[in-house]
Amino acid sequence: MSLRDVAVLGSGMVRFGAHRTRSNADLARDAGVAALADAGGLTLADVDEAFVGYITPGAMIAVKAMKELGLTGLPVTHVENASATGLVAFREAAWAVASGRARVAMAIGFDKMNDMMRGGGGRGVGRDQIDSVILPAAYFALWAVRRMHERGTRPEQFAAIAAKNWNHGARNPLSDRQADHEVTVEEVLASPKVSEPLTAMMACPVDDGAACAILAPKDLVQRRHPDRPVVSVLASALQSETYTPGHTFLGPVVGPASMSRDTAQRAYEHAGIGPEDVDLALCHDAFANEELEYYELLGFCGEGEGEKLLEAGETRLGGRIPFNTDGGLIARGHPGGPTGLAQIHELVTQLRGHAGPRQVENARTGLAHLVGGGSVCCVTLLHRED
Amino acid sequence: MSEAPAQRVPIEPGFFAIPDDPEAAPRLLGSRCRDCGEVLFPRRAICARCLHPELEDVELGPRGTLYTWTWVHFPLFGTLRADAGGYGVGQIDLPEGPRVQAVLSGGQGDFRIGMDMVLELETLRENKQGQQVVIFRFAPLASA
Repeated sequence: MSLRDVAVLGSGMVRFGAHRTRSNADLARDAGVAALADAGGLTLADVDEAFVGYITPGAMIAVKAMKELGLTGLPVTHVENASATGLVAFREAAWAVASGRARVAMAIGFDKMNDMMRGGGGRGVGRDQIDSVILPAAYFALWAVRRMHERGTRPEQFAAIAAKNWNHGARNPLSDRQADHEVTVEEVLASPKVSEPLTAMMACPVDDGAACAILAPKDLVQRRHPDRPVVSVLASALQSETYTPGHTFLGPVVGPASMSRDTAQRAYEHAGIGPEDVDLALCHDAFANEELEYYELLGFCGEGEGEKLLEAGETRLGGRIPFNTDGGLIARGHPGGPTGLAQIHELVTQLRGHAGPRQVENARTGLAHLVGGGSVCCVTLLHRED
Repeated sequence: MSEAPAQRVPIEPGFFAIPDDPEAAPRLLGSRCRDCGEVLFPRRAICARCLHPELEDVELGPRGTLYTWTWVHFPLFGTLRADAGGYGVGQIDLPEGPRVQAVLSGGQGDFRIGMDMVLELETLRENKQGQQVVIFRFAPLASA
């Protein structure tokens, strides 16, 4: 069996937000139960192997959280790759099925970024370390300032991406941020400054949450759900950095930009398709300016043409290649471990045709992209079988 | 004879050299590959470009060019530089090759891409031995 013979049997998530009174295990159970129900009334007894993604909670948490769903003796493996964790857990589960070692595999992710911030993500962190003094917002702002210098990009264009994703999120009941009005460029620009030129509304919120996907051979998925489109895995490419001049070893790094281009290229080659075959894309828009870079790096327009693609409206719902239809990291949210599995949930929902007011018409192929600090990139392609 | 200045110690050893003369510029501690010649910061045991295992120690800087920058609208480490309303962060290209990501000295309006920068030390605090704990920064050359 190859990766292409693997399909999504079930998918589910807990809406991201501030879940102050619920533990990681509580969130994991709710997401797991949702995915098992979507798979067709499964229990953990039907699952052969689980890959558990989280960034912060510490040792033993993968196995302990899985106990919430049952103690069946299944192999459980913790996966961590910073922001890309969820897509990497999905990749491992897909390959576990493709290799034949598991018939049904689960990828589940959770994190409580609010706890991380309370536990020392704020004041004083990094004070006695040479390697952790630069906030993620500052890191991506460095990209933004450089792009403004090279391409003449204006903050209004970053704000337009943020506004688009806020407005997409308002059409998604599972989005953390749900604006009660059409968010405007002016409003995004007027929100508090975070790191020049980025404002608070151009940045993802601090979130808690969980998400889960269950994978199985295509024929099994088809048999269990004869009346539902089968969503299969076309490709999942993962890479860490290739050394390039200008690599910074100290401080947070998510790059170089070519990492996203190379990873996407590998995914397209493995799938035997090109960007022209993709109907919607979800990307790592932790900060709005990133999305502009990924229009180019994922191959949806030429180098330096991202602003044109944006301003032609091609990346919003109704455009040629809608980006972050569920609100993206900016609106749907970004707890960490579950983020990639929330992207998978949105792709599955869209490819089944169940996305309601944000449905991409006749969506057949979807792309999910995440980068993670360190750094890594993961690009996954899903496809609706007809 | 005047009183000897307080001894300065690095926040972490192995990243930068502190000159005895408090007026002298510090240097960064890097490596040069004995095979391909690539210069890297901080020090490494294996060349990141060609994987050759023999590198020699080199001192880098103190001058560089600002590749990109930002101004963070929060106090540094949640507590420092609150009066300035935030702090600068940048990437500095050293003439020897490496790009270094660092906190910048200076005010919000002081930075532009391509400007000359110079390495300096900032005292973070005094330790129990009465030594000054220092970290490296880059500052615009004119105001240094």
